[in-house]
Formats: sequence, structure tokens, C-alpha cells
Amino acid sequence: MTATETDAATTSGRGPVFWGAMFVTAMIGAGALNVSNAIEGPAATILMIVPMILLLPFVKAAERRSAAKGCMNPVIMRYNRRMLLASFGYVLGLGIAITLWKQFEPPAPVSFALALLPTLPTFFMIWAMGRYLVEETDEYLRFQTIRAALMSLGMVLAVGLFYGFLEVFKLVPHIEAYWVLPVWAMGLGLAQLWMKVRGE
Amino acid sequence: MNNRLKVLRAERSWSQQDLADRLGVSRQSVNAIETGRYDPSLPLAFTIADLFGLPIEAIFLRDGDPQ
Repeated sequence: MTATETDAATTSGRGPVFWGAMFVTAMIGAGALNVSNAIEGPAATILMIVPMILLLPFVKAAERRSAAKGCMNPVIMRYNRRMLLASFGYVLGLGIAITLWKQFEPPAPVSFALALLPTLPTFFMIWAMGRYLVEETDEYLRFQTIRAALMSLGMVLAVGLFYGFLEVFKLVPHIEAYWVLPVWAMGLGLAQLWMKVRGE
Repeated sequence: MNNRLKVLRAERSWSQQDLADRLGVSRQSVNAIETGRYDPSLPLAFTIADLFGLPIEAIFLRDGDPQ
């Protein structure tokens, strides 16, 4: 890539920080409307999908930034596409499952199938992470990803254990076990940010 | 582990990206190796040695060895 192309890649369009901030703001807004029951039923599901659309320009901007820095390759792009697909599947599956479960109070076998709706996309996410490590040919990038994943795992174990004991002693409310994946993903993001700040 | 990658690259007027392209890795990787933050695997070290036409020990040095 020439210097001109690099400049163009860096400066064209909004950066990933802008789109990331937009996504987080929209997610908090949609979440607040859901929690306050201002919007219920299918409308709530649709409302949660709107912020997800912001992930598309966010990923594009992040890929543009990485390409300008010479750290983009087809494996990372494939991973990003898979994670985007899984994220949309998760939100859609979660919305459909909760809406149907609340409205129809289905029997156990149907509830079991409903529980699979948001679960399967998360299995796909875990598979995509594994595939990334298998497909990544750049050993340094693979090493960095494994480091971030281990840091995040350490954080999940520490937080999970501590919270578990706080729950035993009735100091905090119960949290559903499925939160382990979002917390792990947040930990992964924080670990990568920490490595970036340290210039690694 | 120390290395002479930056000197060898400069002798050929290659940027980090040029070297990264020749090695088939990211510029980030070249930077991490050059600055000593990451020691490459043996296969990558051999690829680097082949590219410069030098033995591995002429590029990668033990800590404390004179450059």
C-alpha cells in the first residue's frame, strides 16, 4: 500500500471509535427502554436489532484502520464476518425466544428448543474463535490473541468465583450463568485494549 | 534475545511493511520482533535467515552478545 493509499484508508469515513461509541450508546438506550418496559414484545426485539446494524460500519472502520497499519489479513476479515453473523443471530434468537416464552408459556420440550435459539449462535461464536486460531498464519497475531483470551479467561474465573461466594452469603443478587460469554468477550476487548495501550 | 533485523532491513532500504510482505507476516509482527518484544518461532527465524541469506546466529543473538 502506498503512502497516499494509506492516508486515504486512514482518513476516509468515520473511525472505529466513533462507530463503537455510537453502538454502545444505542445499545444502552435500547437496553434502558427494554428494562423500563417502555417497549415490549416483538417491538423490543426489533429495537435491539437497530443498534446491531451499527456494528457493520464499526467493523468496516476497524478493518480500514487495521489495513492502514498493515495488520489486516483475510483470516481476520473472515473472523469478523463470522462474529457479525453470530451476533445478529444471537440478538434475533434471544428476542424471538424471550418473546415466545413470555407470550405462550410453552411446555418444557418447546422451552428447550427456545433456549437453543440464542445458544446456537454463541456456539458458532466459540467455533469462530477456534477457527481463527487455526487459520491465522501470522504467529505473532495468534500469540497476541491467545494472550488476550487467557487474560480474559482469568478475569472471568476471578470475577465468577468472587461473585459466586458473594451470592452464597446473600450479598448480591443472582446472575444467570449465560452472562459468562458477554463478560468473557468484554474481558477480551479490555485485554486487547490494554495491550494496544502498552504498544504491543 | 537480541537481533540485527533493523540494521539488515535498513541496509536494504526496506520499510517494516516491505519486510513484512516478503516474510508473509503483518507489519506488527516485524515491529514486535525488531524491538525484542517477541522472539520468532524456529520456522519463522529460518524464513528470515533465508530472506537475508545469512545463518540464524548472524541475525539473532543471545542476550549479552555484542551486536
